[in-house]
Amino acid sequence: MTPKERFLGALARKEMDRPAVGCVTQSVTVDQMEWAGVEWPAAHTDAQMMAKLGIAGAKVFGFENARVPFCLTVEAEAFGATVDLGNRVKTPMLKAHPYSSEDEPAIPEGFLEKGRVATAIEAVKILKAEYGEEYPIVAGTTGPLTIAGHLVGTEDLLLMMITEPDTVHKFIKVTAEMEKQYIAALVAAGVDVINMSDPSASTDMLSAEMFDEFALPYTKHAFEGCGDAKKILHICGNTTSLLEHMINTGADGLSIEEKVDSAEAVNIVNGRVALVGNIGSVKPLYMGTPEECAADAARIRDAGFNIIAPGCGLAAETPKANIEAFVKTIKG
Amino acid sequence: MSAEELLEKLSDVVIKGKIKEAKPLAEEALAAGASPEVIIFDALSKAMGVVGQKYESKQYFLPQVLLAAQTMYQALDVVLPQLKAGSAADTAAKVVIGVVEGDVHDIGKNIVKAMLTGAGYTIFDMGRDCPTKNMIDKVKAEGANIVATSSLMTPTLAAMKEIERILAEENLKPQVKSIIGGGATTKDFAAQIGADAWAYDAVEAVEVVKNLLK
Repeated sequence: MTPKERFLGALARKEMDRPAVGCVTQSVTVDQMEWAGVEWPAAHTDAQMMAKLGIAGAKVFGFENARVPFCLTVEAEAFGATVDLGNRVKTPMLKAHPYSSEDEPAIPEGFLEKGRVATAIEAVKILKAEYGEEYPIVAGTTGPLTIAGHLVGTEDLLLMMITEPDTVHKFIKVTAEMEKQYIAALVAAGVDVINMSDPSASTDMLSAEMFDEFALPYTKHAFEGCGDAKKILHICGNTTSLLEHMINTGADGLSIEEKVDSAEAVNIVNGRVALVGNIGSVKPLYMGTPEECAADAARIRDAGFNIIAPGCGLAAETPKANIEAFVKTIKG
Repeated sequence: MSAEELLEKLSDVVIKGKIKEAKPLAEEALAAGASPEVIIFDALSKAMGVVGQKYESKQYFLPQVLLAAQTMYQALDVVLPQLKAGSAADTAAKVVIGVVEGDVHDIGKNIVKAMLTGAGYTIFDMGRDCPTKNMIDKVKAEGANIVATSSLMTPTLAAMKEIERILAEENLKPQVKSIIGGGATTKDFAAQIGADAWAYDAVEAVEVVKNLLK
């Protein structure tokens, strides 16, 4: 069985001898940079470098998927947000928001051919040509609600959900349509799985009712761009009470953090979608021991997760031994 | 309305986030003879306490909390300039707060700031992506009792370690206590780097700071 068959089989909840193992959130670490001879921040803006780092998790650690790009600022930058690309160990960060609430947001003309959107699409094509038979290509994208927060400031966006809900809808409507077009282009370039991260839709921020009003319909709209590609929705925090609502987006898989009890998640989801996660990215992966990482992976496998993976993005300096330990636990 | 009724109403206005009513009500309360301290402690502080409880019990989510905080700041704009030097609120503990260098996620920090402001502390907000040196300089310049830092991003945890190192190196402890928080932090991590405390969220932070100052 190729990693691709296993990963896509796991997402389709097929019976297999073991779950898949990989990473659908930010997956690059310094050991992969060393292997690839490619580093951040250069790899954020060069398709060849991005593709090389995108396969590095598979080559260095045995992840059963490739993945690009490496941050959640690609879409906001296409809308004109100022981004600091960070450094070797720091992911890109937004510096300034391009819009204020009175503005009329618009999808930037020709955005698919420009900037880091074009870089990501090109990197997917390279990965597809070189590794597409063996590995599934996962593209990391940003949820419409989170992008809208990047456009006007997340704090202001949250406030306006009470004071000016129409303004909030005005922005998310545009970001959802842009995201749909971007996803369609990624899929046309060869992506097998879209992972959409929507951190601003977390239960730390919103009630389930607010999620249904400001995230659900727009996530569905953006997912329409996926066509036959599989869809994973990643939301940070303790999403136990949100799982039902996340399923309603039509996602094939849900990627969740360690703040959700693994067994409880399996119970709630009850085979309706695949579960991806939920080894803690900070503890144990970044700060714990290999033994703790192995024990966590085994516990999550036994709970019945379909893809054993970090619960959120990996920190670039996550120790090699910790990642090796969790992969080995699953692969044997 | 009596001063007491006005305070009750102001508290309610903050809890419900009726942002436009806060300033006129605070002015009325002052005119009716309520002292700035009474307005801060009996109305605003109480209100933010209730908001915190509502957040804990999931009746409120971030949008409601942010709106309540904005409403409180409207009232504070009226009340703070009236504070007399040497009064209880003026001599309250000083807190330097900020998001560490390398991270721009500041909503959590802003909520903690609102809760601590509501609890009557004097806050020096260093904003986000704040260089460690600026944070320490401010602590020294203001004679702050507490330095509170937050980080949502794992790679920036190193900056918190650096703050502890400098606090120790410059013999600022134990006069200055440190508290950390934010999505990337844990209680274990706080203990590991030598921070004095860690809080899960803004509501807990108020309790933890109170205990640190005992």
